[in-house]
Parts: sequence; structure tokens; C-alpha cells
Amino acid sequence: MKEFRRLVYPYLVWGIIFILVPMFMILIYAFTDEGNSVMTFNFTFDNFLRFFEDSIFIEVLWRSLKIAIATTIICILFGYPAAYFIAKLRPNSQSVAVLIITLPMWINMLVRTYAWRGILLESGLSPEVKVYIGMVYNFLPFMILQIYTSLSKMNKDYLVAATDLGCNARQAFMKVTLPLSVPGIISGITLVFLPAVSSFFIPKLLGGGSFVLIGNLIESYFLTAGDWNFGAAISLIMTIVILVSMFITRKFDHEKEADNA
Amino acid sequence: MKKLIEFKNIVKKFDNTLVLKGIDLDIYENEFVTLLGPSGCGKTTLLRMLGGFLTPDEGHIIFDGEVIDDVPAYKRPINTIFQKYALFPHLNVYDNIAFGLKLKKMPKDIIDAKVSRMISLVALEGREKDDISVLSGGQQQRVAIARALVNEPDVLLLDEPLAALDLKLRKEMQHELKRIQQEVGITFIFVTHDQEEALTMSDKIVVIKDGTIQQIGTPTEIYNEPVNEYVANFIGESNILDGVMKKDYLVSFDDKDYECVDRDFKENEKVDVVIRPEDIDIVPYGKGKLNGEIKSVLFKGVHYEVIVETRRGTSKTVTMHVLSERDITNAEANEMMHASDFSMDIDDVETMTDQDIIARANAQAWDAETEEDIQISEVITDLKKETGRYDVTFKTHEGTSITVKISVVAPKYVEDDKDNMGITAFDFYKTVDEIKESMAISVDLKTWADAYAWYIDNDEEAPITEVRFDFDPNEIVEGDYEITFSTEGREYKVHTTKYFEEGQKVAIDFNGADIHVMSKMGGQG
Amino acid sequence: MRKYLPKIYLALVILFFYLPIVYVVFFSFNDSRSLTNFTGFSLQWYEKMFANRTMMESIYYSVVIAIIATIVSTIIGTITAIGLSKSKRVVKEFVNQMDNLSMLNPEIVTAIGLMLLFVTFGITTGFGTLLLAHIIFCIPYVILSIMPKIRQLDDNLAEAALDLGCTPWQALYKVIIPQIKPGIFTGALTAFTMSFDDFVISYFVTGPGINNISTYVYSSVRRINPSINALSTIIVVGITIVLVLANVIPLIATKRHQKAETNEI
Repeated sequence: MKEFRRLVYPYLVWGIIFILVPMFMILIYAFTDEGNSVMTFNFTFDNFLRFFEDSIFIEVLWRSLKIAIATTIICILFGYPAAYFIAKLRPNSQSVAVLIITLPMWINMLVRTYAWRGILLESGLSPEVKVYIGMVYNFLPFMILQIYTSLSKMNKDYLVAATDLGCNARQAFMKVTLPLSVPGIISGITLVFLPAVSSFFIPKLLGGGSFVLIGNLIESYFLTAGDWNFGAAISLIMTIVILVSMFITRKFDHEKEADNA
Repeated sequence: MKKLIEFKNIVKKFDNTLVLKGIDLDIYENEFVTLLGPSGCGKTTLLRMLGGFLTPDEGHIIFDGEVIDDVPAYKRPINTIFQKYALFPHLNVYDNIAFGLKLKKMPKDIIDAKVSRMISLVALEGREKDDISVLSGGQQQRVAIARALVNEPDVLLLDEPLAALDLKLRKEMQHELKRIQQEVGITFIFVTHDQEEALTMSDKIVVIKDGTIQQIGTPTEIYNEPVNEYVANFIGESNILDGVMKKDYLVSFDDKDYECVDRDFKENEKVDVVIRPEDIDIVPYGKGKLNGEIKSVLFKGVHYEVIVETRRGTSKTVTMHVLSERDITNAEANEMMHASDFSMDIDDVETMTDQDIIARANAQAWDAETEEDIQISEVITDLKKETGRYDVTFKTHEGTSITVKISVVAPKYVEDDKDNMGITAFDFYKTVDEIKESMAISVDLKTWADAYAWYIDNDEEAPITEVRFDFDPNEIVEGDYEITFSTEGREYKVHTTKYFEEGQKVAIDFNGADIHVMSKMGGQG
Repeated sequence: MRKYLPKIYLALVILFFYLPIVYVVFFSFNDSRSLTNFTGFSLQWYEKMFANRTMMESIYYSVVIAIIATIVSTIIGTITAIGLSKSKRVVKEFVNQMDNLSMLNPEIVTAIGLMLLFVTFGITTGFGTLLLAHIIFCIPYVILSIMPKIRQLDDNLAEAALDLGCTPWQALYKVIIPQIKPGIFTGALTAFTMSFDDFVISYFVTGPGINNISTYVYSSVRRINPSINALSTIIVVGITIVLVLANVIPLIATKRHQKAETNEI
């Protein structure tokens, strides 16, 4: 069946052009300073210096990180019990519950976020709280579904074995269920933290113009200010921050696994 | 018969592991050939090569006089029954069977006729429209056979097709396959690791091990005249003994010479001797070739499998001193303590840690009320590397203490060169309660006596197969008891329809013609 | 009480998820512009929506792009996934990493990357770039949905097909594709939602005058515009109908299939 190998090649070329080259373009723009053209290639660190020398940018980056981390933690705290309770339902009810939670996700994200705008319009809450509500609303389903998947895949015999070996319900949860659901939590974190840190329409729609996160910075440098080089540099910084955070999370996960082993 | 397939020096590597090391094999028309060997021996690789799913790294496959190394699977007049049948789940029984014919664009009425003939051949009438998923394992197997045979191949390859079936069904399908093969009259090449399957069905068996052919022959040849220990072991059950070929027709094993029918060995060549269990008779004591004792009897359905021990293994007898309660009570601290005397090997004195001493003396301290364990904080002893009896005192923090004796003895072991076994064990002291509390007395006795056996030639640990004692652990009282530890002796496995008592004194007998002498395997004997 | 705690908790979570949806649907029938006071029932926002050409166009573009992107990405994704299953490890690993990059990258990074690509090579942004971008980000999800099905595939099935006389290509469409159909279906469904739901990438790669629902909503929420409530309601109703059909049709199909079988017997 080696004949089928050939089938990959068109996509290989496609992927290089439409996935790798664009990333490369961002890199080039971030390290050059000639406005909107890369034809004249002037290598420079200026865009990065500009970012780190201005406390406003650092503040925005820090705020984005803080909000993303807080959103992730809130999603775990509220999502874990939900996932756990769903996994405890009868099998048929489980799939119904999952369907009910998935259904709203089919409706356009912008439309759903827009709806919150109306609800929160006269609530008197601070822009920050409104942004939190919007983020948790948009990302909580991902966390619930990831944790639920890992819980439902878990071999029930482990729990029986734990009980058999003398664990009470609480101990069985702490010593068996929770450690085994860590992979689910980790992939949930990836699915929440990543879009949360780069989100720009949630703060714009719910926080009003005053509440700026790093995504909004990128948006405005690309679409309003037209300074693509600086915009590219900001997005590169953001990407690196995300990669480092994900690396730390994964490492934590692996260490835990090693501990358990 | 006409030669149909020739494998010429086939070599195949996977990731630098040599899976087939130069296979030469001829297969004839209308033969039922079985490739027999353990998993990973290369038998399936050879089959897949013939099917066209793998190509040899070296050598050639010749089919009907033509080299077919590079002919793709779909152009070979060969069909395969896969291990898990690989029926197409999206097609029903009829469409699965008709699959190959439809590809050949045969007219519908011819397809119908051929399919229904196949369906009756495999006895699946009335199931044409069924989904594959509703069929049982045996029925799926039949569909797979029909699907392959309907294409009228010259050769049918079967890759462990019976492995997924339960025992009864497997037996049934063995006969069924043989019947089908005789009816359609084509070559069947059958891969299995089940020697019984191979013996019942085949015209020719090819025994493969580690990518090389060990023996090719009819079932009777392979069973009665295995070429080496490996084949003898793999095919059926056997007694395999080390022997020496004194001269033609005379072989010596177990210290005796026996006449046999084998010849053409070198004088005094070391050989392996095979005697099949069903060729041995059990006769009254003193009336056979070797005297012995019945060691175990297992009922196997039609016959008994009897183990006759003609020579005891190497053994060592020790004394167990059973003492009464030796708990010490310290009323002041409300603690209780306990320990027992023990013996040890002089060679072990130097490496003995406090923890070892606590373990060997079984020293324990506990709270008199709660029965919770209390740590032993001190071990005081004047233990020296000299034989003799030494005091050892165990103490807790509260000052409760108990003193027992350690007997240091010179190593006393028994070695038997003929048996290549050594064994050692020590006298020891135990309380009545400790023996009563034991959950696995034989294992505990070995630990308490520090019993150990080894092979003299390589010093590796040998199993102690028997622990003999004549007390009931639940009814034991104070006193001295003898315990004998032994290694495995010379045992013969015998298949007989008569029943014998364990422990009965008997003799075994066999004919010279039942002794089969084989060359030692290269470097492994 | 303890016994009901899980159910109450789940009910609250579900309420949280459905609150905004119920809210927009409710206020789409409001008589006034207010998003907080329901002053009376009216269908005026629906009238306004249908009269608003840009709004109607945005729905049109969202649907058309989602349909085309789904078809194209499903075809490319299926072909690639089949190829991948037989590829050498290096190629497999490379393509997997590339797809991971595409899926794990923050959307905004993918978006500006594509925007830079289009602009640098002088491609005018508009319907074409929007559609192309959607196809680009959908394919990895299609591959992701199909790969597990291919991995579950009994290797012997394809071999059995060859054994019975199929050429490799016949084996592909007679045996392999029918077997991975559920994966292809899931992939297509994922692609459709990804495309229909997308905002960030569309926002950066679309050209003047071309809006999908997301970019339209984003650009018009600066002012309060209750027509968007009406639009949202239409989407909610539309999606609900599609989902009900998607869940019910296969059910009816199997029932009918079973019925047909019983009749034959």
C-alpha cells in the first residue's frame, strides 16, 4: 500500500506555503523596520526594545497573563465538579448532559459574547469583572469536556480496587480519581489558557475601549496604526510567553507522573 | 505430485533483526502444509511473503516455475484467511463472498451460482443477507474461507485462523478445514503455534525456530523421530534426558546402558534421548528397567499423567525446635516483647546487620493494650565469626528487653555431583504460635531454615521442589521436628490409563524401539 | 439535600450557558431599543434585519464559505490522512507537527501570518482570501478527526482486499473509505462549525465589503443595534434545526434500514 504515500505530498506543499511561510513572515516582520514592506531587509531589534522599554506594554502583557491564569483557575474550580458530576450520571444521561453543554458552542462565539453585553449593560460591574465573565463563559465548556473525557475513560476497576484496599470515598477520589484525571485538566488548561491570553474581542465587546489586553494591542497595531513590524514583534513575544507557560504546565504534569510512578 | 512453490534461501530483516535466516522449502500441489513454531519464529512472515504483502530481502519465491517476488498480491493466484478474518464490516455475508468475483466483473448469474456453491460448502445456507457483526466467530471463519475459495485460488494461506475460537469450535473447524481441503483439492498452507493442530491436520509439518527450519516431515516422522531437543519438546510431551551413545545400537543414560535402534553417531558422543510418555509402562517394583516412586498423578481426561521419580533429588534434613510462648512482659512500660533463637552460617556473620538479626530472630515489641508495634531501638550481641552460641539482646526505648541465642554453625551443605545440585539449610527455633499463624507453611519453613539450593557447575540458584515434614501445622506442640528440603530428582512423565497412588513404589519399563536418540543442539545442549 | 447537590450544580452551570441565548431571543422581540427593559412585543427588528442588505449578505457569506470550506477541506484532509497512515515516520511527524502548529497557535497569530502572506505577495484580500483562510485552518481538524479511525482500521482489511484482487486504488474506495466514513463525517462537521464560528482569522484576512456574521457583529456592536438580537435568534433557530436534523436523520435511517431488513425476512 506504499502507493498511498504519494497522497501526502500535495498537503505537504500546501502546509509549507500556508502554515510555515506565514509564521516565517511574522518572524521577518518582527526583526525588520521598513514599514509594510519586507523587500528591503533591515535587521533590527528595535521593535523588541521598544516593547520592553515602555512600561505600558509590559503592563498590558502582565494584565493579559494575569487574566488568562485567573480564568484558567476559575474554569478548573467550576469545571471539575461539573465534569465529575456528569461522569457520575447514568451513561445515557451522560451523553445528554454532554450534548446540552456542547449545544451553545455551536452558536457563533461573537453572538454569544454580544448577548452578555446586553445582560451586563446596566449591571454596574467593573470592566474587568465583565471580561472575566465573558472569558469563563466562552472557555468553561472546553475545560468541562476535557476533564469529563478523562474521567469517563477511566477504568472503573481502579476505584473498586481502591475501595477494596481500604480507601474511603474521599481517599479514593484524592488518591485515584484526581491523579488519573490530571491529563484531562492539563489539556483543559491548554484549551482555556491559550485563547484567553490572546483574546481580543471579549475585552473589546465587554470591557469597553478602556480595557486593553495584548490581543487588542496586536489588533490595533495591525489594523489601526498600520505598524506591522511592531505588531509582529508583539505577537512573537506573546507566542513565546505562551510557549513558556505551556512548557511549564507540561513539565509539571510530567513531574507529577514521575512522582506517581 | 507436482512441485508448486519453492522458497529459495529467503532472508528477511525487520529493523536490523534477522527474522528469516535463509529458508529453503518446497511445497507440492494438493498438500496440506503446516508452518509450526512459537510466535516470533518467522512463520507468519514467510506466509505474508507468499501472499504478496512482504518482499524478501534475499532469495526468491518461485511459483509454478516462475519467480513471483515482485508480483503484487492482487495478481497472485493465492488467497489468504487472516487471523481475525478481516471480513469487510460494511458488507453482508453475500457481498463479502462475492467481493473478488465482482472485481473480475463476472456476470451476475455466475456470481450467484458460485457464491451459493461456496455457501453450501461452508454450511452457511440462509445467512447470505446477514451482517458480519451478528455472526459468531466460527461463522465468520466460514465466511472468510468461502470468500477466499470462491476465487478458485491455487493455494490457500491460513494465518492462525483457529486461534480466536474456543476449544470445542477449534476442534470442529480442524476437521472442517481438512474436509474442505480434500474437497477442493488445492494446496493449503497453514500457520500455527499449536502442535496438536499441526499433527491432526497436516500432510507435512515444517517446524521453524528463530527464522530457521528445524525439521520438515510428516506428522508421524516429526513425532516419532524429532531431530533435536527443540522439536521433541515442541511436538507433544516428552522425557528428554542427557545420554551418551556408546556405539551403534547402544545408548547410556541414568547410569545404565540400553539397547536402541539408533546408529551412525560418533563413539561416546553426547546425545539427547527422548522417550514419549505413552511409550513408558508402569510395572511392579523390581520388574522394570528403573525403580522409583509415584510422585504425582493428574487426570487428563482419557489418561492419567503420572510422574515417577526414579531418583531423589539432593536433600538436606534439619531440625525444627518448637518452643512454647516466649513473650516477655514489661508491666511498668506496658510493653510486650518476643524473639526466638536461631542458627546461622558462619560465612554470613560479617554481613549480618541489626535489621537482619531482628528479622531472623523474629524479634517484635508491642503495646500490651493497643497491640500497636513498637520499634526495637537496640540490638546488643557479642556475635563473632566463630562457631558457637552467642547471646543477643533486643531492647526498646522503654527498656523492655529480651535475650535469645544465636548458634553460629559451619556451613553444612550437601552436594551431589551426579545431580549437579547442592543444598543447604539450618536448624531453627520457632514457637507454637508462629507455626500456627503461618499462611504458607512450606514457604515459611524455607525462609526460617534459610534453605538454599544451587547448580554446582554455575552456582546459580536452583529450585527447592519439595519440603517434607510430618506434622500438622495447626496441631503442633512443643518438641523437635525433622524437615527435609530437596531439589528435583530424576523424573519420568508417563501416560497411562491405570490409576496409581501417590507414594506407591513402582518400576518403569520401555522398549529399545521407543528410545529415540538425537544429536545435541549446537551450543545449547 | 446532599443527594441533589450534583444535579443542582449541573443545572446552574447549564443555566449559565443558556442565559445569554435566552436573553437575546427574548429581547429580539422587544418593542424598544432597550436591552434591559422589555417594553412590549414587536417584530420590528426582524423587519429591519431583512431590510438590511449588509446583514443579509453576512449571513450569505458565512453559509457559503462554511459549505465550500467544509467540502474542500474534507476532501484534502481525507486524502492526506490516508496518505499519512502509510507514510514514513519522518513525513508523518513533520505533517503532525505542522498541523499542531496550526491548531495550537493562537488564532490571532495565524490570522496576522496569513494576512502578511496575502499582502506581501500582492493578493487582494476579499472573498477569495477569506475562503482560502478557512480551508487552511479547517484541514488540520479534518485530519485529526479521521486519523483515529484509520489507526483503528484492521491492517488486514486492506490486505484482504488486495488478496481478493483489488488494485490498491480499488481497495481505497471499496474498503478503506467506507470504513473511515464516520471519521470523515465528524471531520466535515468540525470543519463546518470551525468555519461558521470563526471570527479572528476572518477579521484579519477579509477585504472591504466582505463580512461574515462574526465580523459584521463585531463591527456593529459599538452602537446598540437590536437587529443583532434578531440575527442571533435566526442563527440559534437555524443551528437548532440543523443539529436536530443531524441527530435525527441517522436515527431514522437506521430504523428504516432495520425495518427494510425485517420486511425482507
